[in-house]
Amino acid sequence: MTRNDPLIARKQELPLKDNSTCLFLKVMISIAVFLFAVTLAGVLSINSMLGAWNSSILGSLTVQIMPVNHADAEKARKETLEHQDKVIAFLKTLPEAEHVVALNDSQLQDLLRPWLGDGIEMRNLPTPRLIDVRLKKDAKPDYAKLAEKLAEISPLASLDNHKLWLDKLVKFADGLKMLAMSTLVLVIAITSGAIFYTTQTNLGLHRDIIEILHIMGAKDTYVAQQYAKRDAWLGFVGGCIGLFFAVPTIFMIAGLAAQIEGGIISEARLSWFSWGLILSLPLFSSFAAMTTAYYTVKRTLEKMM
Amino acid sequence: MLQDTLKNEQAIIDMKNVGIRYDQGPEILSDITIALKRGSFHFLTGKSGAGKTSLLSMMYLAQKPSRGTLNVFGKNVNFTDRDSLALLRRRIGVVFQDFRLIEHLSAFDNVALPLRVCGMNEKEIRKRVKELLQWVELDKHMLDKTSTLSGGEKQRIAIARAVISRPDILLADEPTGNVDSDIAVKLMKLLVELNKLGTTVVIATHSEKLVNDFAYPRLHLQNGGLSVVMPRESLIRGAKLYD
Repeated sequence: MTRNDPLIARKQELPLKDNSTCLFLKVMISIAVFLFAVTLAGVLSINSMLGAWNSSILGSLTVQIMPVNHADAEKARKETLEHQDKVIAFLKTLPEAEHVVALNDSQLQDLLRPWLGDGIEMRNLPTPRLIDVRLKKDAKPDYAKLAEKLAEISPLASLDNHKLWLDKLVKFADGLKMLAMSTLVLVIAITSGAIFYTTQTNLGLHRDIIEILHIMGAKDTYVAQQYAKRDAWLGFVGGCIGLFFAVPTIFMIAGLAAQIEGGIISEARLSWFSWGLILSLPLFSSFAAMTTAYYTVKRTLEKMM
Repeated sequence: MLQDTLKNEQAIIDMKNVGIRYDQGPEILSDITIALKRGSFHFLTGKSGAGKTSLLSMMYLAQKPSRGTLNVFGKNVNFTDRDSLALLRRRIGVVFQDFRLIEHLSAFDNVALPLRVCGMNEKEIRKRVKELLQWVELDKHMLDKTSTLSGGEKQRIAIARAVISRPDILLADEPTGNVDSDIAVKLMKLLVELNKLGTTVVIATHSEKLVNDFAYPRLHLQNGGLSVVMPRESLIRGAKLYD
């Protein structure tokens, strides 16, 4: 028996590959995978963003020294710096503090540039001074007590542990994440529903052949495997098409996000693992389509025959 | 009573008070009680609409009785799960009146179907199918789609498909209806040979000639009931012509 033997080219008993259902499912799966990939990228980005915020912000705190009001700017500045030095000296004694540093004029100027532009003369401007405190790993200072102590040392000092505004951001990010997750669930449900109904319709179309197969002794799994095999392939091809369009879209959105000032959104970077997850979506769509078709056939045949 | 003689411990198909109805309609078959022993050969006769096809379809487990008990290979079909029923069906060969071939498949693939369903390896399938197609003189049409074959050729493919797996039971609905007399005799000889090898054969037919030419008992359906008619002695001797 040679490879050219036409008997080797066994045809499937159920003519599943040559019909419009295939095209419909392929398009449906492509769209689903496209939406899934873009949304998944969003969810993963938000996760990485939250992770970055947690590590960079929760591991630090900022102490603000309000400027002393005085007609003599130089004197006011000098007094403000004295307050700053006292606070720094205290902060350095904290067991949780790893590194305490006051932001210099140039750094403060950088922070104010988006609002005040270039060419600010910091010496003449009554601006608050900022002290950045990097905390030791896993340190959990008592913020209320710390704030009280700071107020005792300097009435101009106030504590900003970032928690308040970070909480708001986290809430917002969580909301976005929930929305994205809902979209993912919806995409899966719609695609599974489409596979379910097209498979059911198709089983009705091929009822005669399925009856013959049953009479010949085929189990439901024999029929289900033929559908599962076809849908696994459709799921993979549809998945690849969806991904083909999703990847440039993700890059485009990432490019737009990177242009946003402030560095918050630009923290949303996809790791190699995230990319691996996104690129493996055709395998997931193939598996999902396969299992949906398999169990739909089994369930439908039990009711039908 | 002959029915009692048929009810013995070797019964391969055993029906007790079986009735069948479709939806809420009247019973097509009522109180059918019969036991077909292993290796028996029966004709199934009756007018059109008498219920021959319904009785056969119960025998090949395509439908369950509306009432009564049906045991096939000693298993009560009402208490047998779907997968086990499939395994029982593999031991039954069926020839349909309308052939019920899969039109987009070749003659070869149609005949190979029962073997593939059982998971037999392709090498063995090729060997067996080629041999059988040669025997029914259709080896030249092996790769032709069945939709391109004549009625007689389709009939032979259908018979080849039914016997390829060497079934324990062979049920045939008008198996010689579309073939010429030479082929009909050849096909009947094949069925007789299979019967000698132990296959239980039931042939539904309208052909009085076929029933008279072959001296086998006849299951006759009339008014929803079943009676058994034994062949005449002379015809039993006549049947040896086909040995």
